[in-house]
Amino acid sequence: MAKTINRRSALRTMLYIAGGTLILPACFRDSGRASIKLTHLSIKESDEVMLESLVEVLIPADDTPGGKELLLHLFVLKMVDDCHDPESQKQFEDGLKQFATWSQKQLSMPFNDAERNQQTELLTRVEESDDESLIAFFKIMKRRAIQGYMSSSYVMTNLVNYEIAPGRYNGYFPMDN
Amino acid sequence: MANIVGDTVKARTFDAIVIGSGASGGWAAKELTEKGLKTLVLERGRDVAHIKDYPTTNLYPYELEHRGEITYADKQANPIANRCYAYKEDTKHFFASDEEHPYIQEKEFDWIRGYQVGGKSLIWARQTQRWSQYDFEGPARDGFAVDWPIRYADIAPWYDHVERFVGIAGNKDGLDTLPDGEFLPGYPLNAVEDYFQKTVHQHYGKQRHIISARCAHLSEPKAIHIEQGRVKCQNRVLCQRGCPFGGYFSSNSSTLPWAMKTGNLTLRPFSTVHSILYDQDQQKAIGVKVIDTDSGEEIDFLQRLFL
Repeated sequence: MAKTINRRSALRTMLYIAGGTLILPACFRDSGRASIKLTHLSIKESDEVMLESLVEVLIPADDTPGGKELLLHLFVLKMVDDCHDPESQKQFEDGLKQFATWSQKQLSMPFNDAERNQQTELLTRVEESDDESLIAFFKIMKRRAIQGYMSSSYVMTNLVNYEIAPGRYNGYFPMDN
Repeated sequence: MANIVGDTVKARTFDAIVIGSGASGGWAAKELTEKGLKTLVLERGRDVAHIKDYPTTNLYPYELEHRGEITYADKQANPIANRCYAYKEDTKHFFASDEEHPYIQEKEFDWIRGYQVGGKSLIWARQTQRWSQYDFEGPARDGFAVDWPIRYADIAPWYDHVERFVGIAGNKDGLDTLPDGEFLPGYPLNAVEDYFQKTVHQHYGKQRHIISARCAHLSEPKAIHIEQGRVKCQNRVLCQRGCPFGGYFSSNSSTLPWAMKTGNLTLRPFSTVHSILYDQDQQKAIGVKVIDTDSGEEIDFLQRLFL
């Protein structure tokens, strides 16, 4: 039986979505959790929650929003669902499930239950594992999360100071060493 | 745009008819209307009015559903259009879709089309080099075709004429293979390109030259460009969305509005030319048969000069 949706948090989620990304076709899980409608991917809610933690570990909040607040896990899902070929989508799905199993084994507890520093340390070891789909998933997730972050409204407006009409071209802009 | 009402021959007769509103059609319209000729420009696609019909031109990356990326489904539906570097989420509405306009390829040929007012002048790469004497002499020299009856010297003043109006940025490089023209200040090379240029010159200076490409951008607009309603290029690198500054040359920003100002232009979108009407007695083309792609009706337009 569907629980009642907390309208305040649903509204806040929609606003962040509107501010951060074009309005995603939103839907709600049975738990009441806001999510997006996917056409090709099939993701369990628990894996989605894990993905949300993953993007937060990858891009943690400090005095600026992190992956969770910017809903990067939904961005990752949307881009994989719409822009990846079927083979890549399968790798992502399999790898995500694999990550749940693998991280549980490595940490002796579900990924979400571990301490932040343990989670961070675990991510540095993903590419050492033998599992192809795990590594493929991680690469896709990382690439899309970073893309979502760098092109988000918050980052482009406040951190990068994106200028849509620079009115100049400086071919000798100095790189910091 | 003059409304063609009624079924009188007079309403369907013009001094000149131009088929297509791309770069060439826009120029024909400008030259003909400037000379006082009542000119009909027929475009198969929809109208794209400068600035008004550039829906994505001011969108920020996060305002695009996939941040500018093309979906997998689109890549499957439009495999050839997707080979074009300029075909992205923010510009695909200016490209003819392969689904709607398929064609047979015996050998690979990427036929990229823009079926709207302005045509490919909206989405082109704006790289504009003059042909040199070697290009005009090519068929005769290399024997691959019938010798052309004209040479670079004949066309040079017309290159001047067009370049002045369009606005071409470039340097006087003094190369006979890529002739200099009526240029606005050329865009400088960046640090890496400068180094590359120097090194190539060092090793291959006699045979190979690295130059800043001549491009149809207003690096520094002149009075003629301001008069067109165009201002300095803002270095947005979003050209193929259509430029609200008119910073690069397109029919939409330049020749068509100019022709419209003369009062002699009739621009008719949704008009596919079916056939040329040829009068056997006069031994002349006297007009065109158009299919209106909106209503499906056939209309004959008549003209005194034909292009």
